[in-house]
Amino acid sequence: MNTPDRPPAPPLDIRGLRLRLPRTARPVLDGVDLTVGAGETVALVGESGSGKTLTSRSVLRLLPTGAATEGTVRVAGDDVLAMDPEQLRHLRTGTAAMIFQDPRAAINPLRRIGDFLTESLRLNTATPPAEATRRASTLLEAVGLTDAALRRYPGQLSGGMLQRVMIAAALMGEPALLLADEPTTALDVTTQAEVVSLLGDLRERFGTGLLFVTHDLGLAAAISDRVYVMYAGRIAETGPADALFSRPRHPYTAALLGSTPRLDAPPGRLVAIDGQPPGLQVELAGCPFAPRCGYATDLCRDQAPAARPLPGDPARLVACHHSDRLEGSALDG
Amino acid sequence: MSTAALPRRRVLARIRTSRAPLNLLCLAFVALVVALAVLAPWLVPHDPNAVDLGNALGGPSADHLLGVDASGRDTLSRLITGARTSLLGPLGVVVFSTLAGVAVGVVSAWRGGWLDSVLSRGTELIFAFPGMLLAILVVSLYGEGLTAPVLALAVAYLPYVSRLTRSLVLAERERPYVAAYQVQGHSAWQICLRHVVPAIAPVVLAQSTINFGYALIDLAGLSFLGLGVPALTPDWGRMVFDGESAIQSGYPLSAILPCAAIVLTVVAFNVVGERWADQVARRDR
Amino acid sequence: MDEVDQSVGATSATPVLQVSGLHRTYGAVRAVDDVSFALAAGGSLGIVGESGSGKTTTARIIVGLEQADTGRVSVNGRERTGRGRGRAHRLARAREVQLVFQDPYLSLDPRTPVGAVLREALRLHFPGADHTSRVAELLDQVGLGERSADALPRQLSGGQRQRVAIARALAVEPAVLVLDEAVAALDVSVQAQILNLLADIREQTGVGYLFITHDLGVVRCVTEQVIVMRQGRIVESGPTARVLADPQHPYTRLLLESVPRPGWDPRAIAAARRALRQA
Repeated sequence: MNTPDRPPAPPLDIRGLRLRLPRTARPVLDGVDLTVGAGETVALVGESGSGKTLTSRSVLRLLPTGAATEGTVRVAGDDVLAMDPEQLRHLRTGTAAMIFQDPRAAINPLRRIGDFLTESLRLNTATPPAEATRRASTLLEAVGLTDAALRRYPGQLSGGMLQRVMIAAALMGEPALLLADEPTTALDVTTQAEVVSLLGDLRERFGTGLLFVTHDLGLAAAISDRVYVMYAGRIAETGPADALFSRPRHPYTAALLGSTPRLDAPPGRLVAIDGQPPGLQVELAGCPFAPRCGYATDLCRDQAPAARPLPGDPARLVACHHSDRLEGSALDG
Repeated sequence: MSTAALPRRRVLARIRTSRAPLNLLCLAFVALVVALAVLAPWLVPHDPNAVDLGNALGGPSADHLLGVDASGRDTLSRLITGARTSLLGPLGVVVFSTLAGVAVGVVSAWRGGWLDSVLSRGTELIFAFPGMLLAILVVSLYGEGLTAPVLALAVAYLPYVSRLTRSLVLAERERPYVAAYQVQGHSAWQICLRHVVPAIAPVVLAQSTINFGYALIDLAGLSFLGLGVPALTPDWGRMVFDGESAIQSGYPLSAILPCAAIVLTVVAFNVVGERWADQVARRDR
Repeated sequence: MDEVDQSVGATSATPVLQVSGLHRTYGAVRAVDDVSFALAAGGSLGIVGESGSGKTTTARIIVGLEQADTGRVSVNGRERTGRGRGRAHRLARAREVQLVFQDPYLSLDPRTPVGAVLREALRLHFPGADHTSRVAELLDQVGLGERSADALPRQLSGGQRQRVAIARALAVEPAVLVLDEAVAALDVSVQAQILNLLADIREQTGVGYLFITHDLGVVRCVTEQVIVMRQGRIVESGPTARVLADPQHPYTRLLLESVPRPGWDPRAIAAARRALRQA
């Protein structure tokens, strides 16, 4: 498949994604650019309402009614937004898979785990049932469960076990891209570590690209290769995880780091960000973070900053007029 | 720009919007019937009980717009006056069954334990007994009059309200805000009356509006059988009964019109009630 | 059970909240198993644990939403275990301990405006007085404008609702405030605002905090003492700084290592967790 003159398309490539919902004053997503390479873990970090979940859902075209989109969302080279229903079904059952936050809400409690795992293969492909079951038990083993789980009901499994079942289910169609929307938020911290290590193992083993949506900066830093920080429907800052967290260049990233109660931060009061993110009924003139930002000037209030590469560090893009002023600040470590 | 989300159930959505003509029509009809009932004494062109045998079974005329029945009574006047009894009866049934049903439901959900068992088994016992039969039994014991069948039907309808209330209160009391009021030191009664009952009221009232239609049919059926409503009181069910002989003599108008009034009113109340229940459900989502 | 520091809270200050020998079983599950601790007056004590550790059940027993099988809970020396009847008793208990719930979306009646929420509490506990100024004062104390008195909960953001819930608890002027995962449902930037607000309120009013949380970062930020619970039992306790810097129990160490940070090794944690479970 790999011809030398044409590199394979990345599992996910979003370009200029703009999404409008009815009865809102501003686009919910406003020019989102995001790439996930093969075998790469990318974290998408943001607070509620930032548009991170909508971004991940748009990859499967799971959009709210009345949503109007611009731009392209390419999964393994094909534009999801232009697909016909048949292609879309193929995408959702094969090329890309999603793991949801609450495994208990995403699984039919009346069906056995085995049914749940094999359903999609049995209905959408010509896979014989025995073959589907064999694959299901292989994957259950890969996520650290035994065959016995096949005959269990969801109610008989703990939250952590159920999330592993969800991961196995996501891998059933051999996806090129795995979307994980806060997959560990509903789990205990020690269980979270297990699920995360499992996702890492599987990504290595199957070469799947992973988009990890989370509100937890520490988690994003710990597990991902690259991080996108989102605010009010736009990408505020992106770059390699360690660089972004040790030397944030967008005031919002810096503020998020300052307001997270971390174990290794200096003791005392947290550096809280005043105010709250802009609602969907607020039209944005300049930088969406300007009203809460200590560095904001008139330029920020008038003109939305475009994402620009940092001088000397082309892998990092920052959408801030004053990113140079964060250099050498207290957070730089 | 491309609209990415698939349009779903657009036709259904249109039927269900609040400005749907059916709903407006039904609301208007309910209002009309209620207005007729309230203003009956001033609206009727004739005394509904004035007998004019010379005119018996006359068709529509300038003097009698909807004709005259077998006893020579003006059909229009009887329809309008009949709206009073026909609405008052179900109203009594609904008010009584709602108040008592909510009380029973709230107490059994909130107290739980043996009281819940006793109340639930009791209402199930009523459930097992057909409402009409109960009403006929009571009327045959206490004779003519609207009170006896209304009370009997109210008892028969009580389980519908109390079961609904009980399940709603059980769900509502699990919500953390109820625990928050408990921690604040509010008594169970205060929490129930100020917060839980208002929370469940719209759903219960919507159900009661639907019950109103059923109670109207039941009472009309009773008076058709000649039970309950005194012979001379104009009432739709009674009018259908009186009009039977008219149908046999090839003159159906005086029986068909009250039939139509009953059916239309019941349908209108059901549509309005369902619609209200839908709205409440949507608001709570 | 090893290395339990019995000196928790038994410092120079007299304890405002004393819990001893609490037990609660549900069927065969020991939800709370011999839990004892004390909270110093004006102090802040964290209870850390995962789901099923019994931390929430302990909190609900303390506020009176659940009954303990055995054990005592006393506030300022007054016993509050056992089901007391009567209005005066109920109000007195409410003034001892108040609770702030995890989810501000569910802990407020959606039909009651903010001002009415506070007035309800004030009228119940301080009848006959004019509460207008006190309502304004409470709103100001939690950083809400007087304008928000007319707002319904659904018109407020999550953080604002949690402020209302805190104001409602403070209206009763309790000796102890139990915060059950009170910031867990909030966004990071809002969470920091609320944590700072709680620190300010403790400084101003001298109310004691019992902080139930799964988040060690939060514990580090707002508590002086901490107890770690696992499967209904206390496995470790002591000054927060000491426990976090030098954990004695393997479970505490596992919890600490499980907090994601750069250079984090989830595989080692997963292995440690399995080892601990088999032990």
